[in-house]
Amino acid sequence: MDTVLQDIVLGNSDEIVKKWINEVEKNSVHKYSLTISEELFDSTNREFVNVIFVSVQNQGSKDDLKDFAERIINFGWPLNYLTEGMQAFRRVTTNFIIERSETLDAERFKQVLESVDEWVDPIVNFLVSEYSGSWESTVSLQKVALQELSAPLIPVMDGITVMPLIGTIDTERAKLIMENLLEGAIKHNAEVVLIDITGVPVVDTMVAHHIIQAAEAVRLVGSTCILVGIRPEIAQTIVNLGIDLSKFPTKSSLRKGFQSALEITDRAVVNLKDKGNEMENMIDSLNKG
Amino acid sequence: MMRIPILKLHNYLLISIQIDLDDQTAIQFQEDLLKKIHETGATGVVIDLTSVDIVDSYIAKVLGDVVSMSDLMGAKVVLTGIQPAVAITLIDLGIHLKDVPTSLDLEKGLIKLRQELEE
Repeated sequence: MDTVLQDIVLGNSDEIVKKWINEVEKNSVHKYSLTISEELFDSTNREFVNVIFVSVQNQGSKDDLKDFAERIINFGWPLNYLTEGMQAFRRVTTNFIIERSETLDAERFKQVLESVDEWVDPIVNFLVSEYSGSWESTVSLQKVALQELSAPLIPVMDGITVMPLIGTIDTERAKLIMENLLEGAIKHNAEVVLIDITGVPVVDTMVAHHIIQAAEAVRLVGSTCILVGIRPEIAQTIVNLGIDLSKFPTKSSLRKGFQSALEITDRAVVNLKDKGNEMENMIDSLNKG
Repeated sequence: MMRIPILKLHNYLLISIQIDLDDQTAIQFQEDLLKKIHETGATGVVIDLTSVDIVDSYIAKVLGDVVSMSDLMGAKVVLTGIQPAVAITLIDLGIHLKDVPTSLDLEKGLIKLRQELEE
């Protein structure tokens, strides 16, 4: 019986394709036409329906489908184009077979629905899993990239190291920050570690807690931690939330933090030439002349 | 039970802990150190923890105690070379060793000790 239905569908593929394309265009002409040219839409439609027919014809073989799915994912077609297309195919085919049937009792009806489902569902499942697979791999790649960016440590000078933090800090990242900070402090033999939170948009109790913990841990390994880059609004939230940051030094900007880091390591920045003096010298020489 | 060696260098005492401390060893160490401070009249103590990978809350408490006890006896203590993992554990346990000076390594520890004693 299955093959009979299959024969009906395959034998009348032209008609079904025509109906299907009508259906798809009716559904989606206003959705994709803005970004995708008409020819491309047509050719993709034709290709899609071919792939559907091929996979209905030889049940189980997914090579064509895989190819098609890969290409369409690379192209960035939305998933709902495919699911809507498959839904349209189900509607069109069911209608078509039912119209062609001489006898229409409950049994026959059930058979038609079941066999159409048997063709359509594996394809839908396959396409959706291909799509979600590609999303998952993208997400995991991005996660890795984010992790690489999340806690850089820059040894700017003998004994002074800076960790600029950008973006939101969650528990996972805070852990990474703390580990990198401590490992780095020991590796670079850093007496002073500056944590720059200029790029941290929100400092709530949790973020503050993580930062305080990191600072305490840094103190335990034997370095000093200075928190720099505290913007006015951050200062306000910190005080309003009742967070006590008095235990370790804080500075408004990296420059000031660096200054006190130099003081802690008993160093200072010296101008090699005094600009004021130079001016005076020049004026002197002019006067002499 | 292991006894932890305590070395004397001028006015300072140097201790390098190279085993994982158990409770008894820690207490023994506490007694030994205090005795040694009494004998030598040392003014500074450096305890190097570079080779210590695990510290539990009791050991941390003992270390904190040793520091304040030595302070009472007139010897400043600096802890050096605390490993990242140990630092994280201590912070997680809520042990902040607040008034204990720390340094990255033995060399910096000695410098810090001298600074603290000069003040």
